Amino acid sequence: MPGSTFAALRRKVGTTGLLAGIIVLVTIIPLLFVGISSAQLSLDDWAGLWSQRLPGLFWNTLSLSFLVAIGSFVLGVSAAWLVARKDFVGKKIAIWLMVLPLTIPTYVFAHIYTTLLEEDGWLGQVWLSVFGDALAIPDLYNIWGVALILSLAGFSYVFLLVRTALRHSNRSLEEAALMQGAKPWQVMWYVNLPMMRPAIAAGLALVVLHTLSDFGAVSMLRFQTFTLSIYMQMNGRFDYQGAAGLSLVLVVLSLIFLVFERFSRKRQRFYSSALSTQPVIRRASVTEQVFIWLWIGGIALFAFLLPLGWMLHWSWQAIISAALQAPFLGYVWNSVIVAVAAATIAMIVAFPVAFFHARKQSRLSQWFLHFSSVGFVLPGPVVALGVLTAVLFFLPNLYGGLLALVLALVVRFLPLAVQSQEASLQHLTPSIEQAGRILGAGPVENLRRVILPMMRGGMATAWVLVFIDALKELPATLLLRPTGFDTLPIRIWIEASEEMLELAAPAALMLVITTLPALWIMMRDRDKDHKSTT
Amino acid sequence: MFFRTSLLLLAALLAAPVWAQDSLVVYSGRSDKFVKPVVDAFTKQTGIKVILHNAKSTALLNKLRIEADKTRADIFLSNDAGNLQKGADLGLFTKVSGASANVIDAQFRATDNTWIGLSARARVLVENTNSKNAGTVKSVFDLADPRLKDRIAITHSGNGSFVAGVTVYADKVGDKKTADWLNGLKSNSGGKVFNKHSKIVKAVASGKKDVGLVNHYYIYRHLAKKPNAPIRIVFPDQGSGDIGVAWNVAGVAISKYSKNTASAQKFVDFLVSKQGQKIFAEVNREYPTRNGVPSSKQVPARDSYKVADVPMAVLGKKRDATLNLIDSVGMP
Repeated sequence: MPGSTFAALRRKVGTTGLLAGIIVLVTIIPLLFVGISSAQLSLDDWAGLWSQRLPGLFWNTLSLSFLVAIGSFVLGVSAAWLVARKDFVGKKIAIWLMVLPLTIPTYVFAHIYTTLLEEDGWLGQVWLSVFGDALAIPDLYNIWGVALILSLAGFSYVFLLVRTALRHSNRSLEEAALMQGAKPWQVMWYVNLPMMRPAIAAGLALVVLHTLSDFGAVSMLRFQTFTLSIYMQMNGRFDYQGAAGLSLVLVVLSLIFLVFERFSRKRQRFYSSALSTQPVIRRASVTEQVFIWLWIGGIALFAFLLPLGWMLHWSWQAIISAALQAPFLGYVWNSVIVAVAAATIAMIVAFPVAFFHARKQSRLSQWFLHFSSVGFVLPGPVVALGVLTAVLFFLPNLYGGLLALVLALVVRFLPLAVQSQEASLQHLTPSIEQAGRILGAGPVENLRRVILPMMRGGMATAWVLVFIDALKELPATLLLRPTGFDTLPIRIWIEASEEMLELAAPAALMLVITTLPALWIMMRDRDKDHKSTT
Repeated sequence: MFFRTSLLLLAALLAAPVWAQDSLVVYSGRSDKFVKPVVDAFTKQTGIKVILHNAKSTALLNKLRIEADKTRADIFLSNDAGNLQKGADLGLFTKVSGASANVIDAQFRATDNTWIGLSARARVLVENTNSKNAGTVKSVFDLADPRLKDRIAITHSGNGSFVAGVTVYADKVGDKKTADWLNGLKSNSGGKVFNKHSKIVKAVASGKKDVGLVNHYYIYRHLAKKPNAPIRIVFPDQGSGDIGVAWNVAGVAISKYSKNTASAQKFVDFLVSKQGQKIFAEVNREYPTRNGVPSSKQVPARDSYKVADVPMAVLGKKRDATLNLIDSVGMP
């Protein structure tokens, strides 16, 4: 009897555990798809993949991840340290400038920089006027170009996490070191960096995972990573099994990386005493401020201002040539609907998984957590294909609406929601809950009146992170959008591949503008969070 | 209560189809701006509304294949005969009516009429008239000549038009000679390939490269913007024993699972009509496949040069072999 098994399961793991289990079952659909398809590969096929494709793909993917990690580290950590430890004019603006690149998707970065670097592009002209014909304009169609683009698009994650860690960390250790006669670089090396390590690791993990699954930039710049190769295998040759085989290798690679990252994070944890006071930071001298702004301004110029200027310029061209038509607002509306639906659902379904783990800390809950991150390590095109196959198989009558697309987006970005909720649940001690229960609140009332209000910040962050990524998402949207349903990323993709700059630019600009409110909510919550703890 | 209502709304939103049921759905691998004019003319004439779903041809074919009988597509438009034949081989299309197929020459459609070629493009050379190599490159095979080291401009080998061209050459001269040629191209391009045909024309016009391999209309697109650019079209392989210019067609097929076959057939009828042919081909300066419909005045007439006699269906049947050939050479 399925009913009684259900009841038995429920007794064993509790309602939350059962719910979490069901949700995890849905999130591993793409993994099942990959497993089943690659099981059909013969040994010869594997040998073929191994000898022809894999060595090159491994090298490309790993070296790219490494370069992007370095790039994001340099940009993100330096900016975060300056912002957290120095006081200078326009600091609030600087913080925003370091976060705003999150509003620009990688394929837009790639597209903008390739056009800027053409001979008649802005950067190309600057280059020619400085170097003339002596030095060729750099070309982005190589690993350095892709690494640059992905670093510019991703370093903000490192910045955000490291800045938070620095604000939370106790400054007394630094002061102690300084009093003992340590030089500033020694403080940085022996005190700051080790203390920031968990945050740096988490930020870099996010950046590397984005790199591993990036489709937009690598396909625009034709750099063969696993994700691009999997996409071409599916689309050019209709070889789903080969694509699944490559995906399986990528998943294993990502899991090794994740385990390694968790391990390196676990060994060290720093607790800041709750009573540490935020000391007054001396205002930086004028020369210092000039250098700070040269550095931060330089990063901001390339990571946000230049792309923004490009978008504004070409959007203006579109407006004066009246190329913008009525359907444009429809694209905005479609994008927002899909991203809001995905973010809302992800925020809700992430809760049982995060809550189950926070309360149980069992091996099962740990496994649930790992499995719920599958969507993030699989390439977007594969997630989309898995979800599409499942929807056509199980819910054929619902196919054609937004269901498949939203489901794929939830599966892809659920880990972001789970992680931020888990983080905020960690602050919540069980005793508060027990107090609620003693006072007579049932589990549901307790949840509604005690737990949920206390983790509002985590919930908001979860929603915002999923919203931002869902709004920019390209590969799953390309495959799963309903007929004739165009979103901003789709239009950017189409117009950019047709080189219709004046049509791609307004769509990219709208994407930036639409993301702003969400980003604002997140930044506000973070700062509030700091004020209450520091 | 509010929570429950929003959940219900969300559920309704997810399940509800977003289209109008009676429209004709066209999966279009051809740029919207080249398809819109003919679609608008069709809607005006027949009153049938059309929903355009634009993406890359291969991606759409993939989608058609996975969706199978759940697809909403009635029509598949592709820029490449290879994709059309591939879809036919996968059994995704139904035959178009013989009456509309017969107005198009047999070499421009599937043998079983499961797809029809609508407009043709020629794979030609563009050369800089001021370069010292001007006038010396007469064949696509000359592009592999070591004297043109670093002087040639080609697209990356993932480009559909490039693949289709190579398929034609392999069909005419065999795999061995084609592989040698690809190796020569690889060495002459010095690993620097272009991601857009338009950039090839630009590079040749600016003198950065002497000669490039492109589809013919890219040359005229550039000349329309810059009439004085020092570039010229060269139809390759025109000697008596030579293979002629490789062609490729954009074309149309009706989905096997279309629930709107009558309207879909009307759409195909319109596309092969004289009016439809003219609109479809002219917006992109291509050659209409229907005899007697003139091409754009800016491009050389279709009977002014020799075309390789390779049926377009071959572009699909031999595409995988070409991809393997390209992979084995390791073309960038």
